[in-house]
Amino acid sequence: MHTHASTALGHASAQRAPRTGTPHAATGRFRQVKTALTVFLLGLYYIVPWVRWTRGGESSQAVMFDASAQRFYFFGLEFWPHDLPLLLGLLIFSAAALFFVTSLFGRVWCGFACPQTVWTDLFFAIDRRVDRMLGRDHPLGQWAKTGVHVVVAIFTGFTFAGFFTNIVELGPQFISGQASIVAYVTVGVLTFTTYTLAAHARENVCLHMCPWPRFQAALLDPESLVVTYQNWRGEPRARARVPLRPEIATLDSSAYIMPRVATASVAGSSAATTYRGDCIDCGKCVSSCPTRIDIREGLQLGCIGCGLCIDACNTVMERIGRPHGLINMAPELSSVGGCAGKSGRIRLFRAKPMFFASIMMVTGSAMAWALATRSDVNAAVEHQRQPPFVKLSDGSIRNDYTLRFSRLGVHDSNVEIRVEGLDGAAIRLSNSAQASFTQGARRSFSDRVMVTVPKGSVPKVRVPIAFVITDRETRAPVARLETYFWGPGGVR
Amino acid sequence: MASERRYDPVTGQYTTGHQWDGIEELSTPLPRWWVISLVVCFIIAIIYAFLYPAWPTTKTYYTGLLGWTSHSELAEYQTEARAGQAHWREQIAANTVGDIAASDDLRTFAVAGGKALFNENCAGCHGIGAGGQQGQFPSLIDDDWLWGGTLDDIYQTVTHGIRNTDESSRQSEMPSFKDMMSEEEIAATAKFVLAMSDTSVSAETRNAMPGAELYTNNCAGCHGAEGEGMRMMGVPALADQIWLYGETEEAIRNQIVRPKMGSMPAWGGRLGDDAVKMLSVYVHSLGGGEK
Ligand code: SF4
Ligand code: SF4
Repeated sequence: MHTHASTALGHASAQRAPRTGTPHAATGRFRQVKTALTVFLLGLYYIVPWVRWTRGGESSQAVMFDASAQRFYFFGLEFWPHDLPLLLGLLIFSAAALFFVTSLFGRVWCGFACPQTVWTDLFFAIDRRVDRMLGRDHPLGQWAKTGVHVVVAIFTGFTFAGFFTNIVELGPQFISGQASIVAYVTVGVLTFTTYTLAAHARENVCLHMCPWPRFQAALLDPESLVVTYQNWRGEPRARARVPLRPEIATLDSSAYIMPRVATASVAGSSAATTYRGDCIDCGKCVSSCPTRIDIREGLQLGCIGCGLCIDACNTVMERIGRPHGLINMAPELSSVGGCAGKSGRIRLFRAKPMFFASIMMVTGSAMAWALATRSDVNAAVEHQRQPPFVKLSDGSIRNDYTLRFSRLGVHDSNVEIRVEGLDGAAIRLSNSAQASFTQGARRSFSDRVMVTVPKGSVPKVRVPIAFVITDRETRAPVARLETYFWGPGGVR
Repeated sequence: MASERRYDPVTGQYTTGHQWDGIEELSTPLPRWWVISLVVCFIIAIIYAFLYPAWPTTKTYYTGLLGWTSHSELAEYQTEARAGQAHWREQIAANTVGDIAASDDLRTFAVAGGKALFNENCAGCHGIGAGGQQGQFPSLIDDDWLWGGTLDDIYQTVTHGIRNTDESSRQSEMPSFKDMMSEEEIAATAKFVLAMSDTSVSAETRNAMPGAELYTNNCAGCHGAEGEGMRMMGVPALADQIWLYGETEEAIRNQIVRPKMGSMPAWGGRLGDDAVKMLSVYVHSLGGGEK
């Protein structure tokens, strides 16, 4: 692997086409998928904050992380800080999904969905468009590109801030200088990172900064489909005028399936000097590669699995009248004519993908269950320990508690509290003789709750009790909180 | 070891000329960006050392061009925090304790502020949870008050204190009965006082006790005919279940012979009126507050 890595990073410079900062555009099926995904993902990013949603009778933002109120809104759902375990579940699920897809198809995440790739691709498209409009060597070309880059970067930063505040209000505030410092800093930082990462760092992020390539190899197995140059078919390379090796001349297997020519010999077994393989050494695969590597050297650290070299090479193959698939998505071993797996078939049910799929199933169903049964109430009661109990002048004993209560949703809560498990107990809030309260929606209630037991029925030691909170209108139980009542004897 | 520096065609660098068992060392220069960052760091450090206090001098220290001190920074934060609370503090100043407690928002603010003040100033005697300390300092969360448990009573007590030199301080004194009663009489009185708070002793039995008459003659004037106490003078009720100085006969005898009476500083002058208002609302909210 060491040789691969070093060629990917160092040696590539010797072979690749003169660097313009932007790889040559490839056309083909991978490019189409990639374009569609890029448009879809960028569209999501730029449009989602603008989507409105009616919440509690007020127009609000469909997706918003409200940092000051510590709420996350996602269309009809509302999340509070205590829902954080759901986030954890989502992260585990996402990681498993990433591993799953990688074990099946290599680095499709990197090639198609990673923000670094998506924005870099957008900036490549900008560069190409400017080049097409002004001509490659226009003196103002770089200025024009940078100008568009900066505008896109600012808009990207602005959109990011829009996920944390009402973007419709942010716009005018931002322009008139009335937005908060935090908003300006957020936009500034995101503008800076977008610009530096997508306009300058580009593939270097994938090659030098990102940890993901370093361990993706551990997720692959012999049947994983990865971008593979079919050595047995391509070698030896030579100019098109050199005649084709006879044993591959009749090849008609096309496109993206793994060729069954398991017996094919590699690297010009027959008279290498006079025959060539399918590769005409045109270099299109290298010049179209966003990370500037030569896939013909084998699977390597620098390859993000975008498939653009496949498109580029397929175009070449069409032009010279040869079947597609000199570079294709195939098990790595197929490159030297080897078979994948025992049966020579690519199985879906294999150890690694299934392991990751099972993690996805477990976390996915756990999260679905948690989401479905999620309580809309967050209530906690805490016994006051200083002092644990108070003796009143008639000899009754009182315990004090701190109750915190909040409830999701848009309605006011009108609830009352009862004590369970304690004879003759009276309960009240600090500022009233009753134990009921009305709490506005989206606000937290917190008060001192006092439970008094008359002298005759005071428990000697600590006894378990429960606070039962019920809705006063529907009489429905809202929460049940277990705690203790301390008698003068303390803990048994 | 040392040999000639030579050009290494693979890396495009020169070697240092050092060699160990044929292994040579390249003298690859530091990356330009790295050198620039280092130099920039140096420059920033020098500027920093001029702007901020950086060097000691023989007697004091160089204060820096910006005149920054951690103390002034703290003061700034405090000013800022105070400005943030100004709206509430103004209302605390403008309203009476009764009005503060009647408004939900103001009460919440006062209770939070009062709690902080209490823990800092009062908890030393009355305890963090205001539970008091048996034999010394009364509990503030029960329903038994020596000097009254309404908001105004608490406010008055906190402002002026008890048995101190403040002009409006709460004042009273229980005399010692050491020379006025014999030991037997004192013991009989103590027995009677204890019986007053014992709900299992009927009134008849109690009134037939030898201490009954002694109590009426010596104690009822202040503590009341039924032991109900007198809050005007800070006289504790004797018929209830709360005994600050102990509920044994001996403790009561001691109290008759050598009365203990608590004193409390006046906080009005020390903390200011607003703080005392918040403290009063807080103490009143702890469970014993009276209307
Ligand atoms: S694009 Fe295809 S034919 Fe051209 S150099 Fe690459 S592998 Fe060979
Ligand atoms: S080698 Fe091919 S698949 Fe890999 S990054 Fe380059 S163009 Fe994309």
